[in-house]
Amino acid sequence: MIYGIRRVLKYALGRDIAGRTLAVRPDDTFIVSYPRSGNTWTRFLVANLLHPGEQVTFANIERLIPDAEAQSSRYMKRIPGPRLIKSHQYFDHRYPKVLYIVRDPRDVGASYYNFSRKYRHIEDNCPLERYIGDFVHGRLSSSPWGTWAENVGTWMAARNGRPTFLLVRYEDLIADTPAELEKVARFFGVDASPGRLRQAVENSSADQLRELEKREGGEWVTTKNKRSDIPFIGSAMAGKWKSVLPESAVVEIESAWGHIMTQLGYQLATRTAESERTQLADTAVIGKQVE
Amino acid sequence: MMQRLIRGMRRALGLHHPGRNLEVWTDDVFIVSYPKSGNTWTRFLIANLLHPKEPVNFGNIDRLIPELAGLTKRQLERVPRPRIMKSHEYFDARFRKVIYIVRDPRDVVVSQFHFFRKRRRIADDYSIEQFVSRFVAGATSDYGSWSDNVASWLATRQNSPSFLLLRYEDMLARTGEELTRVASFLGVRATPDLLAQAVERCSADQMRKLEGTNATAMVVKDMRQDIPFVRAAKSGGWRTELPEPAIAELEARWGHLMTYLGYELLSPARTTNSDSRFVETILNGPSR
Repeated sequence: MIYGIRRVLKYALGRDIAGRTLAVRPDDTFIVSYPRSGNTWTRFLVANLLHPGEQVTFANIERLIPDAEAQSSRYMKRIPGPRLIKSHQYFDHRYPKVLYIVRDPRDVGASYYNFSRKYRHIEDNCPLERYIGDFVHGRLSSSPWGTWAENVGTWMAARNGRPTFLLVRYEDLIADTPAELEKVARFFGVDASPGRLRQAVENSSADQLRELEKREGGEWVTTKNKRSDIPFIGSAMAGKWKSVLPESAVVEIESAWGHIMTQLGYQLATRTAESERTQLADTAVIGKQVE
Repeated sequence: MMQRLIRGMRRALGLHHPGRNLEVWTDDVFIVSYPKSGNTWTRFLIANLLHPKEPVNFGNIDRLIPELAGLTKRQLERVPRPRIMKSHEYFDARFRKVIYIVRDPRDVVVSQFHFFRKRRRIADDYSIEQFVSRFVAGATSDYGSWSDNVASWLATRQNSPSFLLLRYEDMLARTGEELTRVASFLGVRATPDLLAQAVERCSADQMRKLEGTNATAMVVKDMRQDIPFVRAAKSGGWRTELPEPAIAELEARWGHLMTYLGYELLSPARTTNSDSRFVETILNGPSR
């Protein structure tokens, strides 16, 4: 009962988390990705690009590019438009303009494992292999974002190729940050000089973010009250999975999502994965129906 | 503030319509489609199959297979489990078991056009070309555009054993056969007699009769009575009702998805959609 009253008050005061119930405005722009795909880094890059006079930190990022899944309805309502909003939602047709960041799911899985330990969502000694199984089959109780393939697949299937949708690969962002950021700037309609781009990249470097996390991680909404011995800012590199994931886990990811990974330019490590899926697809209902 | 307090109270008492924020249970089954794609007919067929002793009509359908958007949280909690519910939502990761009905978008838009006139949402002299443009942009529905809805489900679930894809056109052509697939998907034992009875009770004539006698029921009340809810109940009506430029507009935008679903294009050469490559990859899966 007390819980009920608290919920009523919370809702009445607009203190409920916005999340999927966020009131979307026609001039909103979203930075969307599956978790652990470089969203925070991108947020810093974009915020530093748009606000060159202001050093972006974990203390002001929620004002500059608020996190719809961490902030309340009221907080989101008070942000003046045009808003730039961070989100992990799978396809939501109301989002008018979307920058979507995609990352190799093998790296996402490895990074998510550490994150889940940080958040105490799993036992510290949970075997990585079991975790990846849950990750692939949508059994992570902590994740309302669908699976990686559901998240990426719904956005790509519904929006890819539209002028209001920009796809950025985390790996490309790592390889040539200024070039990718320039694409982003153009998408946002910002005229960015090479100097301004360079400054945004410098102010958002992994070292810089790690330093900021050390200083401000205890206060930031995303990392507050979480284990501080595991950092939120992870490896910040591409291909870490090669040294971290056991082979069976790689096979599991590739056999489930290999076709999407290939289309996104992520080379598969296993060939068995390909042939397993061939059999699966042959028995698929739709394959029989539509010749 | 006051308004939110009242809304908050309604929430606490379970009197609000949760819609997309529904609490999903693991044994829930969803009959999903884009609006005007044969969902009501399928709902009647399934309800008649599951409740052979109780002929289904517009008065009891909302109890037998409730519509997600129409019920309050409290009502939804009282539906006997396993719940079978109707929905028009595009992809929702929490829907585990889904029957998805797809229909040729050229027929969907014609049907929606008439439905909008019935609901007085557009004037009688509103042109169908204008309507098709809004339809293609996804502006005629809260459930995304036709392709948003269809592609979001196919891209995620088409190979899953807990997903059954039905084409409205196949349902029309081979109702019994398709209903048999539904029965086995739901794990329901269906004798030929039971199937025949369900099909018979849901013929277009029968459905029109039911609409006539239950005009006050929720589905059709407050609407113009001169335009029926159960309309043509056939496929290919677009050939006579849609002007050529409207067809071209639809096909140019969604040709790849339509072809994939087996809907033959009138002007295949015009299909130049930049996102078709990815959609096809996802849809075709890893084998091809």
